[in-house]
Amino acid sequence: MVQTPMTRERLFALRETIAQMENENVPGLLKAARKGAATGFEQKIGVDDAGVSSHVLPLGIAALDDILQGGLPLGGLTEIRAAETRDTGAAMGFVLGLAVLCRGDQAPGSSPILWIGQGMTGAEAGAPYGRGLQAYGLDIGCCIFSSPRTIADALWIAEAALSVPVFTAIILEVRGNPAQFGLNESRRLHMRARTGNVPIFLLRQAGEEEASSALFRFLVAPAPAAGRPLPDESMLAGSIGNPVFRVAVEKSRTFAPLELLMEWSSHARRFRHLIPETTASSAKFQPTYSVAEFPASAGGPDGADEMGRVMAFQKAS
Amino acid sequence: MARTKWGVSWLSRKRPDHPPLVFVDRIQNAMRIVALDICGEKAGLKRGQGLAEARAMRPGIEIIAADPAADKGLLTSLADWCDRYTPLVAMDGANGLYLDISGCVHLHGSEKSLLTDILSRLFRLGIEVRGAISSSAGLSWAMARYRPGEIIGHQEAEQALSPLPLAALRLPLETIETLARVGLKTVGDLIHLPRAPLARRFGPSVLLRLDQALGFEDEPLSPRLPVASLSAERRLASPIQDEDDILGLTLQLAKSLRQSLEEREEGGRLFELVLFRVDGKVFRIRAATSAASKNPERIAALYRERLQAIHDDLDAGYGFEILRLSVLKTERYVAIQEDFSGKSDQARSLSAFADRVLARFGPESLSMLVLQESHVPERATAFAPIADIAELAVQQRLDRPVVAAPPSVRPLRLFRHPERVDAIATELPEGAPASFKWRKILYQVARAEGPERIAGEWWIDGEDALTRDYFRIEDADGRRFWLFRDGLYGQTVASPQWFLHGIFA
Repeated sequence: MVQTPMTRERLFALRETIAQMENENVPGLLKAARKGAATGFEQKIGVDDAGVSSHVLPLGIAALDDILQGGLPLGGLTEIRAAETRDTGAAMGFVLGLAVLCRGDQAPGSSPILWIGQGMTGAEAGAPYGRGLQAYGLDIGCCIFSSPRTIADALWIAEAALSVPVFTAIILEVRGNPAQFGLNESRRLHMRARTGNVPIFLLRQAGEEEASSALFRFLVAPAPAAGRPLPDESMLAGSIGNPVFRVAVEKSRTFAPLELLMEWSSHARRFRHLIPETTASSAKFQPTYSVAEFPASAGGPDGADEMGRVMAFQKAS
Repeated sequence: MARTKWGVSWLSRKRPDHPPLVFVDRIQNAMRIVALDICGEKAGLKRGQGLAEARAMRPGIEIIAADPAADKGLLTSLADWCDRYTPLVAMDGANGLYLDISGCVHLHGSEKSLLTDILSRLFRLGIEVRGAISSSAGLSWAMARYRPGEIIGHQEAEQALSPLPLAALRLPLETIETLARVGLKTVGDLIHLPRAPLARRFGPSVLLRLDQALGFEDEPLSPRLPVASLSAERRLASPIQDEDDILGLTLQLAKSLRQSLEEREEGGRLFELVLFRVDGKVFRIRAATSAASKNPERIAALYRERLQAIHDDLDAGYGFEILRLSVLKTERYVAIQEDFSGKSDQARSLSAFADRVLARFGPESLSMLVLQESHVPERATAFAPIADIAELAVQQRLDRPVVAAPPSVRPLRLFRHPERVDAIATELPEGAPASFKWRKILYQVARAEGPERIAGEWWIDGEDALTRDYFRIEDADGRRFWLFRDGLYGQTVASPQWFLHGIFA
């Protein structure tokens, strides 16, 4: 589409309207939040001029923190999406990393994390596994799990959890794009999360991009892992070390697309930005037994490939 | 003691002109009549008669196979219904109920009015009932069956019992026949006989039953339901149907319970709301709290979630006439002084949240992961309902110090049932596959770590449990999977199969 100045102007106007709708136009709730913070004995939560709580969690990666305007908002809905079911592991790894960061150095037992896995999410992509979570750096004594049957039940539990100021983080896992979880519902969650000052992460398995009230949406895909470090700071060839995610910011306030590789270190409990140059040489991780990259001849996912597909050639342009 | 008795002839009510109705069952290899209605009795049929004989006498009889389970169900629901008079209701065989009304009589006026009330209400429900009140269970049993409707005081026991036949003493049939052979037909014949020869000749049961009926020997009744430590109830002049009304009354009942709970310095952990429907059906709704509570609003809020959850099952019909709220389980309530930091508030709001969710979705709906002593991956952790967590945590702390988990490689997500994959071009005998097909998609293995060999637990799975070799595998796109080969090459005849067990971050 050719962007004439006219259309661009209209586009900006529309974007502004949307931004207003999503972030500012909440006089009642926000006022309540302000009032509660001012009169109560709880920590005072700064509310900046844009009407967004300035309570943020810096992720320690400059490029990402810039886009997030300082860090991950600790009070609001953030969506993390995996394009396919088989990528759910990576998306879950990213979410859990965020949850671990949210928890910080709190004593075990206090301020639990609530995991709501709706319906078939556990059966389709596996249920959360305790030893694995432990190895990932999460204290499983502080995790509460719930697997309601329907999306309505899941939303009810999420809202009930948001209304009590207990949880460090709430992770709501849904599958696909259920019709019962539309813009209204996500908006309700977001508002409640913001008033309660609790971060809620929506983990979407195999879901499409969808308009929602989430402040940010990330698309997480797996990326080849870093190797295991050797004492002389080189990497052990062929080993699988810390997990790496390819995180794309699909929605943010700055409209700047960003895709970066992030490595999670469960030992240091933090994310690290992998500069693509070091990992771009993924060509050296060739399988030991190279198999011709032809599609499977039978029993493939959905029948024949589309016409005109060229195999094993680079793109012409 | 009151005693009610009925047959199963209630089925035949409201059928003005019908053939005699009999219920038959197979007794000692012959179809015999186990119960019959009034018409049948008039027609000269008897209980215990063979079916063929009855058919010959009255060809038109209607025959229904006896259903002891249904009879039992009816009796149970009647026992539920009788809960309105006293919490101590005991079942007696297939056709009787004991109500222990000691201490409850004054609530209903007098014994006479209580008995009339029970009998007339049950009659209106379409059940033919006989009952009697006396000072011992044995005497009530006899009176209800042989001289129903009477109230026998402690002094009149002997006099009332004397003219009754020996069957009124709940003796086995052979004993009665033996006694009849020596001319003892009524209880009165037995009372004044010397006791020692009687016991020697007919066994101790005769005297035991006699003493029980006369009230010399104590006979404990075992109540059907545990008795609540506290309960409050409200009887309504006109029945209510609306959920809001029920909740409003629950709140009032909870308020009236609060006083007693405070006096005992206790809080309730398990509550039960009993709703008596007008037509005799009884609903029992339980709600548990995760911490001792006596706050009426909180109890009422609990029931709001509970009623929402069971909305479809709770059929108000023509309304509920009695509501009762009981505390089944109490615990010492520690009053906590509020502080300004809000710490105690946090713990309390967590339990409030848990209570709401558990009341709505059942006790299994919230769970936590617990570690278990096992090296088989799927057994190493388990989900445990959150209600047991508190006790569990205490136990674990007592048992052993928490050991840091070994730095092992474990996936974030584990499939409940490992999924079969087709491994292609496996490095023999112990290597990882070069590619594999999972859910009909082919994956190229870029890197692999392993094997980690995990043997089966022979003490659970048996001696021939297969050993698994686990591999951590990364495909060309960077997806990390946990694959295992079930069994070793050469261990079994068929070549071992590959499974995908988990997904890494």
